[in-house]
Amino acid sequence: MKRLLLAMLLWHAGTALADDVLHLYNWNNYISEETVQRFEKQCACRVVQDYYSDNEEMLAKLAAGATGYDILVPTGNALEALIRQKALRPLDKARLPNLKNINPAYLDTAFDPGNRYSVPYAYTLTLLGYNVEKMRELKLPTDTWAVIFEPEYLKKLKGRVTVLDSQRELLAAALKYLGYPANDTDEAHWKQARDLIIRAKPYWAAFNASSYIKELTIGDIWLVHGYSNDIFQANLDAQNARRGFTIASSIPREGAVLALDSMVLHQSGPRPDLALRFIDFMLDGKNSAELTNLIGSGNPNLDAMRYIKPEIAQNPAIFPDPQRRSRLEMLRDLDRTQRRILSRIWTEIKLR
Amino acid sequence: MSDQRTPAARLTKWLVSAPPLIFLLLFFAAPGLIMVLASFRYPGEFGGLAPLVADPGTLHGLTLETYRFFFSDFIYTEIFLKSLLVALATTLICLVMAYPLALLIARSPKRRRDLMVLLVILPFASNFLIRIYAWMILLGPQAALSLMLNGLLGLFGVAPVHLLFSPFAVLVAMVYVHLPFMVLPLYTNLERHDPALLDAAQDLGASAWQRFWRVTFPLSLPGIFSGSVLVFIPVLGMFAIPDILGGTRDMLIGNLIKEQFLGTRDWPFGSTLSIMLTLAVLLCVWIAARLGGRRPHHA
Amino acid sequence: MPSNRGRRGTVLWTAALATYAFLYLPLLIVIVYSFNDSRLNAEWVGFTWHWYEVLLHDEEMLITAGNSLLIATVSSLVATLLGTMAGIAMHRYRIRPLTFIVMAPVAMPEILLGVSLLLFFIQVLNLTLGMLSIILAHITFSIGFVAIVVRTSLAGLDESLFEAARDCGASPWETFRHSTFPLILPGVIAGGLMAFTLSIDDFVITFFTAGVGVSTLPLRIYSMIKIAVTPEVNAVSTLLMLLTLTIIVLASRIAPNVLKGKA
Repeated sequence: MKRLLLAMLLWHAGTALADDVLHLYNWNNYISEETVQRFEKQCACRVVQDYYSDNEEMLAKLAAGATGYDILVPTGNALEALIRQKALRPLDKARLPNLKNINPAYLDTAFDPGNRYSVPYAYTLTLLGYNVEKMRELKLPTDTWAVIFEPEYLKKLKGRVTVLDSQRELLAAALKYLGYPANDTDEAHWKQARDLIIRAKPYWAAFNASSYIKELTIGDIWLVHGYSNDIFQANLDAQNARRGFTIASSIPREGAVLALDSMVLHQSGPRPDLALRFIDFMLDGKNSAELTNLIGSGNPNLDAMRYIKPEIAQNPAIFPDPQRRSRLEMLRDLDRTQRRILSRIWTEIKLR
Repeated sequence: MSDQRTPAARLTKWLVSAPPLIFLLLFFAAPGLIMVLASFRYPGEFGGLAPLVADPGTLHGLTLETYRFFFSDFIYTEIFLKSLLVALATTLICLVMAYPLALLIARSPKRRRDLMVLLVILPFASNFLIRIYAWMILLGPQAALSLMLNGLLGLFGVAPVHLLFSPFAVLVAMVYVHLPFMVLPLYTNLERHDPALLDAAQDLGASAWQRFWRVTFPLSLPGIFSGSVLVFIPVLGMFAIPDILGGTRDMLIGNLIKEQFLGTRDWPFGSTLSIMLTLAVLLCVWIAARLGGRRPHHA
Repeated sequence: MPSNRGRRGTVLWTAALATYAFLYLPLLIVIVYSFNDSRLNAEWVGFTWHWYEVLLHDEEMLITAGNSLLIATVSSLVATLLGTMAGIAMHRYRIRPLTFIVMAPVAMPEILLGVSLLLFFIQVLNLTLGMLSIILAHITFSIGFVAIVVRTSLAGLDESLFEAARDCGASPWETFRHSTFPLILPGVIAGGLMAFTLSIDDFVITFFTAGVGVSTLPLRIYSMIKIAVTPEVNAVSTLLMLLTLTIIVLASRIAPNVLKGKA
């Protein structure tokens, strides 16, 4: 035991001494291991990663004093909050020649006009994921939020549906279904959405953060409100395990949430130089495509398209046509009063 | 200890008491006070707390806002009541399950007792989360338990039920995790009972049932109270079990507090909720102390 | 009458055995499934060591385990020192505020200690959450447990022994070193082991005081359960059970009465 401890101590000392280390605070499973290794070889440095599974979690941890991260990969609304907190370093674009690869449609967003701080990394859609065979068998529609909110459909699916355990995402889906913008902050509309959710809730199996991937794969759950990457992963797993069914995703016709994740430099990061090299490396089409091929994420990188597997590139729930794309919305950050009211609505949803 | 007033003895007393006292004042009492203070502040725009002193025009200083918010809607009282109810149910189930076991151990031959007690403690050798996770596997829809139950229900034409992600799953895990806390104090109490009392009761013609209710049970009340407090309090603040095993309506006060700090970024309101929880705990301990006040000795 | 007593015995035994089964079945399932040759943790497919191999090659998991061991070692050493002092002080001087402040962290719901420390570390100490904050938090909740164990072992001692030592002209320190300390040493060691186990095992308080840079085994297990459950969780659980089991058995060998005294 003593020797083991000693070894551990030495090892800790050893890792602390290494010179060139890039600290990356990223989403779970949001970069390919090969990409990381290639970058490490190219820059002769080490990449140390920490993960989060929710923007709120990342912001809360940063608010709680987490420091030392060179790169974060926040979604739009979190990016906005970080910029307003002056927590980010402006980018030196002269050192990002590959920035030209990004589709202009994903540049100059409301969150960061002129991209002073952020470079698009990848995007995810929050949409419907479903067991194709089951939904066909039950003759249920798969192109509308009605299927997770309306009891007439849900009664065929009782206990087979999960929704995201995220205040913003679930509220956005309900608002969209009611015909309001996802960023609506009118409390009356929120209450309408709340009532819609409470009415549908008895039919749902759970609020779920990410284990729905596994439940879709096993076949316990047939319909989810979830992230496009996760649903993609569930289908891969189901095929690998030869479960005999397909998991597919679709963007509901009412519209959905698009989460554009961007790479940014955190003020506390000790190595902005390495961080910029990393960003430019990830802007290279081949490296960027690797992520999409791995997890089925949306890709804002035009150069990457030629490296992306055709079955992914042609999937309309990952690369939607312009008409569908026009109905996608990115979530904005809420102020403290709105956060508190939303939290109360969420408590009501969870308790009733 | 007659020499406690000599300077050397006073120095010793100080040397022994001061370090733990100072450490706990710093890392237990001070944080508690900070939390009380935080509950009277405004939330920061991006989380944390708004500054106490700042330019006019921005929110700063002290306020009763969070308390007003707490009482502005019945929902927060409701979540406390619900948490109390879950804690009460868990405590009662633990009591019912623990009593026979504790009684059996107490009445077993001495040499066997230690082993039997150890067997109750051993599950503690596994991490708390693992014990919750175990129920995730056991209650899963593909697990034997669910299949059997639903097969049975199917025979009677009842629709299949989902065990996982339900209030049932939460309660089972609550009981599972806290059961030993009930067994141990109960056993410690029952072990001390004088068997002569039971023999006397029997000689007076009391039936087994009467002997239990008239002799054993009243004598074991102190054990029941200590066990209940040990189960009730942790359950009241629990967030991990509803978090992992809960379904669509299993939010407890612990989850709400966690959300304020790690989700909504509303520390003042989180602090207010924590203070309310502290008050609830103190109230419960006080009630338990009053109820157990007649106890002959501490278990 | 004997038949009656026999029947009652049977009822009691059945209830007790059911409770034991309730306590052990879930853990058995976790262990069994750690050898299951399927990613999904749903049905039994076949035997494999695969998940243990995965575990051994999971660099992050090993780092986490290292963190947990380091935190548990440091925090239990400090907590043992402070807790032993507190235990002695509580026994000898009966200072009420001290008793209160030592026992309160043990009695409070963990979440309260967790969030108040979070606030304190950030608002007052301006400390970046990480190894240090976790260690301080663990010491805080462990002191009480060590103190209880030490006090219990002191309560069992014969005071006349120390009187005798004093009468022979021994100074308080000599009395302590040569008679009190050796006698309570088993209690101190058991208390320390308990603090070590509590630290290795703690989830709630660590959850609030960990920040992002440093993870511990329970935190990692939590995120694995929440995000992607593979039988690797079962494998790490099984190993962790073995470790804590060893410590408990050790503690019960050294001080047989301590475990009972704890609750």
